[in-house]
Amino acid sequence: MVRWIPDSAETEGELLKALGLSDTEELFADVPRSVRVGRLGLARGLEEPQAIEAVDKILARNRPYSGFANFLGGRVAVRPIPAAVDAILSRSEFYTSYTPYQPEASQGMLQALFEFQSLWVELTGLDAANASLYDGATAAGEALLLSRRIHEGNRFLVPASLSWEERSVLANYAAGHPIRIEEIPFDGATGGLELAAVKAALASGDVFGCLVEVPNGFGHLDEGWLELRALLGAIPLVALADPLALSVLEPPGAWGADIVVGEGQGFGAAPSFGGPPLGLFACRKEHLRYAPGRIVGATHDAEGRRAYTLTLQTREQHIRRSRATSNICTNQSLLALAFVVYASLVGPSGLRSLQADLAEEAEALVRDLSKVPGITAPRFSAPYLSDFTLEVAGHSGVDFLRELARRKVLGGVPLSDPRSPGPSDPFRSMVRAAATARGQGRARARYVRAARSLLAGGGAAV
Amino acid sequence: MTFRQARYEEPPIWELGGSPSTSEPEPGIARIPERLRRREPLRWPELGELEVVRHYTRLSQMNFGIDTMPYPLGSCTMKYNPKVSELLARRREAQELHPGQPEETVQGALELLWRLERGLSRVTGFPEVSLQPAAGAHGEYAALRMVQEYFRDKGELERRREVILPDTAHGTNPASAAMAGFVAREIPSKDGCVDLDRLKEAVGERTAALMLTNPNTAGLFESEIVEIQKTVHAAGGLLYYDGANLNAILGVTHPGKMGFDVAHLNLHKTFATPHGGGGPGAGVLAASERLAPYLPVPRVVKTGRRFRLDYDRPKSIGKIKSAYGNFGLDLRAYVFLLSHGEEGLKRISRRAVLNSNYLAKKLRESLPGPFRPLVKHEFLLSGAPLKARGVRTLDLAKRLLDEGVHAPTIYFPSLVEEALMIEFPETESRRELDGFVEAFRRAVTDTPEALKSAPHSLAVARVDELEAARRPMLSWRDLRNAANLEAPVPVPPPS
Repeated sequence: MVRWIPDSAETEGELLKALGLSDTEELFADVPRSVRVGRLGLARGLEEPQAIEAVDKILARNRPYSGFANFLGGRVAVRPIPAAVDAILSRSEFYTSYTPYQPEASQGMLQALFEFQSLWVELTGLDAANASLYDGATAAGEALLLSRRIHEGNRFLVPASLSWEERSVLANYAAGHPIRIEEIPFDGATGGLELAAVKAALASGDVFGCLVEVPNGFGHLDEGWLELRALLGAIPLVALADPLALSVLEPPGAWGADIVVGEGQGFGAAPSFGGPPLGLFACRKEHLRYAPGRIVGATHDAEGRRAYTLTLQTREQHIRRSRATSNICTNQSLLALAFVVYASLVGPSGLRSLQADLAEEAEALVRDLSKVPGITAPRFSAPYLSDFTLEVAGHSGVDFLRELARRKVLGGVPLSDPRSPGPSDPFRSMVRAAATARGQGRARARYVRAARSLLAGGGAAV
Repeated sequence: MTFRQARYEEPPIWELGGSPSTSEPEPGIARIPERLRRREPLRWPELGELEVVRHYTRLSQMNFGIDTMPYPLGSCTMKYNPKVSELLARRREAQELHPGQPEETVQGALELLWRLERGLSRVTGFPEVSLQPAAGAHGEYAALRMVQEYFRDKGELERRREVILPDTAHGTNPASAAMAGFVAREIPSKDGCVDLDRLKEAVGERTAALMLTNPNTAGLFESEIVEIQKTVHAAGGLLYYDGANLNAILGVTHPGKMGFDVAHLNLHKTFATPHGGGGPGAGVLAASERLAPYLPVPRVVKTGRRFRLDYDRPKSIGKIKSAYGNFGLDLRAYVFLLSHGEEGLKRISRRAVLNSNYLAKKLRESLPGPFRPLVKHEFLLSGAPLKARGVRTLDLAKRLLDEGVHAPTIYFPSLVEEALMIEFPETESRRELDGFVEAFRRAVTDTPEALKSAPHSLAVARVDELEAARRPMLSWRDLRNAANLEAPVPVPPPS
């Protein structure tokens, strides 16, 4: 048995004796017999070597993406992580600590979170950031709720290119209120927002917010974003933005976004099957009292030294209970630490050149795939960075990708909604692909070969 | 214990290096339409690897963690985070998996999730489990969404608008209820537990659910749980179990046996995944047969030897988070469950409750403990007697930090004046318990001056939290503006 519970039976006996008891069973005299349970039906515990063996045996059934030509994109990003990130994250003073309720005992984490907030402020061009939310999708959900606190109305506009997963999360965050989430169609050629549809939606009133993705759900850029501020007037504009893209794009705060949220996993955290991720959140200071999550502020100690502490806590659940701005308590602090450590190791020019190189890699992939009969790459004409969308004529994206995987290629992520598969899904044949590293030339060649043979009928029917 | 924390005058990272230089845009960037292209380079320092590593290593040394000292935060279950779990969570076969990979390539991940779900099903006594929520409060919210959809299907949602909670409930409970559009109705406790008479007055045809933590935040087992359950169910309401305090009852009872309909668990409490300075956590949803159809999609199912993600659940609330939960933490929790097994799990609660009662008995010699003497995994003390000496619970908490232990949870729950809520999980030894008793005695009997000026041994002295709130400086940008003698934008107080 593992030794995670200390002391001998004799010592435990002494503790019991100090209480005037002879059996631990007496400690549960307040649990009625009628609700007692017998055996749970779990197996016997394992020693450490056996536990390692058992878990490794299960993990061996996975095929990590590093064994494939890998072009998996979307919100979860595959990027090289400097070894120094994990060295810092493995400091157990960080990872075994709790929420810094006692600031004097937690200056290290508080300062790191203050630096994290500062970085997200610089990337977004907004006034203030919180110390993290769960992930990009739930951060968008919180942004929706904040929008409705600062503007009246019941309609929230989202692009039709937003992934089904994020739309579903948003719907769950909106469900406590009479909110309708409405989709703004995309231009069939560029993939960008139909601004005329935004105007029409606004004309019928009752809109309390509008969300855009930067880059959009297809991975592409859209100059239409710059027109939204003027169209929306006082209605809050939310940007769901990729942090690496923001190292080269004009900050959304500069073109009028009021709230900028994002998925921060790509900065220093392994994909790990999608979790834990990192929710990024920034807004304007005037709206901060309605904003969710923990916030770190700089102050001084009793001797006049610089110090940091959680602040503006009267918004939060542990103080305001049912009138709190959100129910969030546990957040993603360790991932926030990874984010700022990663960005500091790579540096601003390193981030920029990484994004530039990935954009070039993506362009090369587009160039090669567009020569494959049956593939339209890119599906949309707007410029893109690391990610773009392609279309496979007459095939389901899911089937296409499964067949590619058999040929050692992870060709992207399907855009279709798995809850309602079928020919009526407009995204059925669409795949979002991404450049995931520098120097993907050989991987690219394999993708092209595999796609070519597959679509020429060289593989199982797709 | 003689204790001194490291004290570096470590500047913020931007003071360690210069800003980036502007350069000609690389070809990949030149493609970006000029109007969308970043005009000013990102303002962040360019640093060498050692500079970054040294900076954050120094910061780490100015932080308490379980590996260096006990962390008796009540309701937070700060137990040891096993190193073998850290090792396995870093395997390439665990980290290098993208949620968008075809199912055929992630069979191990699906199997691990499925096995953990099956194990937690036995621990909770519920047939179905989902690992999708990111944290406890997130699980609460998802559970209330399930309750909402359940009543929508029954045609009762219009009238079942209320969620009832005792005043000992965690703050997340009423916050989740309000967020889901319910009216949170708090009922006062009696002797630290649910007052059955008040509950009977409160329940009715407007009741959607009762949210209950058992044992509750006073550390008391709600012994009238059967009557509570019958009262709520008789009124047509549902019972939600907040699993924050599950560490007290593993293998003794479970929410299924107590008659609850849905529960959330915190893997970062009971199942020892690290708290990471506030997160990530991992939430679990467990549901009875009648609520199981509403669990988030996808569900992990096993067909023959193969595992797959099932999205065909028409009654499901959909997704509450991207991907399938915090997989890296699920893996750690699975290692914990596997290592302890049936007997180990039962030992956890027996020892946690033993630690708690031993400590309660000893500490009640220093400060009064409200309610009945038999507690579960945590207990309350009141710092009210200190007030006669002009000292508050906050001062005692700060003084304890000087002893090289973290402070307990303070000022919660509010039904006890100057509350201290103390939890010493099963992983703490007798030596640490006795050490804490001595430290506590020294702190309580110290001079008012020493208590009010504490702490003295940490990286900083008492932090001015009032200044932080009155004049919010929330980023480097605020500090720059202040240095330029521009007043930072004020944050209006909450209405």
